[in-house]
Amino acid sequence: MKKRMIAMLMLGCMVLTAAGCGSKSSAKESTTKGTGAAVFNGKLESDVTIRVLENDTAISKGYFKELIDAFNEAYKDKGIKAVDANMDQYLDLANDGPYGYGPDVLYQANDVIMKYAQGKHILPLPVEDFDCYDQIPETAWKAYQTKKDGKTYTCGVPVNVQAPQLYYRKDLLPKDWESTWDKDGDKVPDMVQTWKSMYAFSTERHKENAKTYGYMKSLNDMYFSSGFLFSYGGYIFGKENTDPSDIGFAAGDAVKGAEVLYQLASAMNEDCIDDTITTNAYSKLADGTYFATISTPDVYSTFLGELEKEYEAKGDSKDAAEKKAKENLVMTTLPALPKSGSLTDQSDETIDSKSMGGVNGYAISSYTKAPNACLEFVKFATDYKMIKKRAEMLGIAPAREDTAKEIGGTSEEIYKNLDKGNIILMPSITEVSQIWTPGKTFFIDLAKDVFRSDDKKKYKDEAAMKQGLTDMCDQIREAITTLQ
Amino acid sequence: MRKKLDTAWTYGLLVIVAFIFFFPCLWLILASFSKSGSIYSFEGFFPKSYSLATFHKLFTDTKMYNYPRWFLNTLFVASGSCILGTFLTILTAYTMSRFQFKARKPMMKTTMVLGMFPSFMGMTAVYLLMTQFGLINHLWGLILIYAGGAPMGYLTQKGFFDTIPRAIDEAAKIDGATNLQIFLQINLPLAKPMIVYTALTSFTWPWSDFVLPKLLLKEKDLYTVAVGLMSLDETEFARFAAGSVFIALPIVILYFCLVKNMVDGIAQGAVKG
Repeated sequence: MKKRMIAMLMLGCMVLTAAGCGSKSSAKESTTKGTGAAVFNGKLESDVTIRVLENDTAISKGYFKELIDAFNEAYKDKGIKAVDANMDQYLDLANDGPYGYGPDVLYQANDVIMKYAQGKHILPLPVEDFDCYDQIPETAWKAYQTKKDGKTYTCGVPVNVQAPQLYYRKDLLPKDWESTWDKDGDKVPDMVQTWKSMYAFSTERHKENAKTYGYMKSLNDMYFSSGFLFSYGGYIFGKENTDPSDIGFAAGDAVKGAEVLYQLASAMNEDCIDDTITTNAYSKLADGTYFATISTPDVYSTFLGELEKEYEAKGDSKDAAEKKAKENLVMTTLPALPKSGSLTDQSDETIDSKSMGGVNGYAISSYTKAPNACLEFVKFATDYKMIKKRAEMLGIAPAREDTAKEIGGTSEEIYKNLDKGNIILMPSITEVSQIWTPGKTFFIDLAKDVFRSDDKKKYKDEAAMKQGLTDMCDQIREAITTLQ
Repeated sequence: MRKKLDTAWTYGLLVIVAFIFFFPCLWLILASFSKSGSIYSFEGFFPKSYSLATFHKLFTDTKMYNYPRWFLNTLFVASGSCILGTFLTILTAYTMSRFQFKARKPMMKTTMVLGMFPSFMGMTAVYLLMTQFGLINHLWGLILIYAGGAPMGYLTQKGFFDTIPRAIDEAAKIDGATNLQIFLQINLPLAKPMIVYTALTSFTWPWSDFVLPKLLLKEKDLYTVAVGLMSLDETEFARFAAGSVFIALPIVILYFCLVKNMVDGIAQGAVKG
């Protein structure tokens, strides 16, 4: 009897296992994916609500509300309504989308969108029909392109350019900076124009008061640190970031970039080894502990908010604090690097700083039931008027040339840098996900080395640093081979 | 003298251990009252100045982080799971303790073996099942899972029912009482400490759980406090601390009010019947 029971139980298990290996479930069939740009037939779906996932800054600063209000007003006669997807900005479209729990339209960085695009979770868009098509540089469009069977598909519409910017406080400049820190007399402080001056100023500021620092930034952040390598000839992948077999972080004179980072770290404290500075930069810049740091343009409002709070705490009224903060907080492009790779030598020859960057933009989920309505929303959100409003409210750097020019200042500079190739956009291939951990490990080790005793130092000369970069490339290669 | 020294040494050791465990809580409580709201403006371990501003912000600034809503969601899920879970656990334990039926022993063995597997092992299956039932983004979905899993831990309750003499049941039966009457009017009133213990444990688990709500709740307005706090921006440390302190309050109050019943419940449930 017992044996019969066991046999029946095993048979049951086998039947269930076999059922699991059967054809696709009906749930999956019911969520048929679109077939690329072909799903956009121009026939607007009516009585639909499209769920839009925006980034948190756009929501908190009120821009998103303005956008959906304006869209809903314009399309109320057509029965299309846009609402907040009300989800975490770091969504998991690949898992939630097929079951109908993802957004219809999403705003994300190009590498995230292209990761989804490779899994066919994103619809290719007929971007040539967009009014912004000619206004956005080819480099930005390329960040959203993927090739399949010889055809090129564009899976997103660029909205803003994300590239590291230098943030500093004007009111923390030395009182006599115009006579001591403006050698070229261009009314711009030298320390925000060249890394050499920034290093000299940082050392001096820390010497005057051991609790204060000049430039501070966590070195472990590959996104920010890799720019120093790119400036001297390094690159991510070969063939315009499409060939993962060629990893170029050690290429050219990239080692000079590592040397610059090493010297900059020597004017910081041990917080530069981990994420501490990245997290505390907002409050430390506001309380005057740090003079400058680098971050992306989308956090400008966070820096501004912290500075306003600090002024208010010191007794200023809300309006006065707001005005003062706007005057004193400056976001500008990165200083120039010394051609020699040394922050202490006598030569004044400089080269442009390059940086890793990204393009954030809109994409449409393959699982949406109203692709044409979504397309209308994306067109609406990327038109001149809305992008201008976005730039004004959030301080972003638009990918559109016309808006960037009109806003001017840093936005225009970022646009120019993108056009000039000084912003290296994150590759749109999945292998890019394997660069972060080995990169972080190298930069942590580099930062740690600054604080090691002389007999324990690992990167004593250029050759050792070059070897460190080569090892990093090898680790990335191994990770791609084993994990991809 | 030796006895006094021994007592002093024991107390001293207990105070040190208590301090070690209490210190992180104390730090979090003080951080939640930090005026600056930033962890990096502390002088040494503790904030420079204190205020209630963060708590005020926690309940009034709900544009991005709707803490009151998260709190109510958590309360709903925990209360629902508590009521349904306690009911099912007590029924299971009573059945296993009082009734003899053929599959009783195999069922007890099976539940014991199943209980040894960590609950997160089945998370992928739970997610897929919930998508099929359309219970993603529904607080009821969470309640059903918590309550459905609660009877797996019925052994303590069974141990308690085993300690109530069967002679009482038999006497009642002779007097003409039905099984339901015996359960409701005789055993249930006697099981008060055990019900309190079961209710408390059924309440605390969903109250602080993170994995399941994170898996099943996609919309921000449906988040429980644990998931909501995890979604806070890195610059919102003070809000995180205040939210953590506030979420601990009900459970601490409940614990202090019901600790006597809880100890009775555990102690009596542990007696082998």
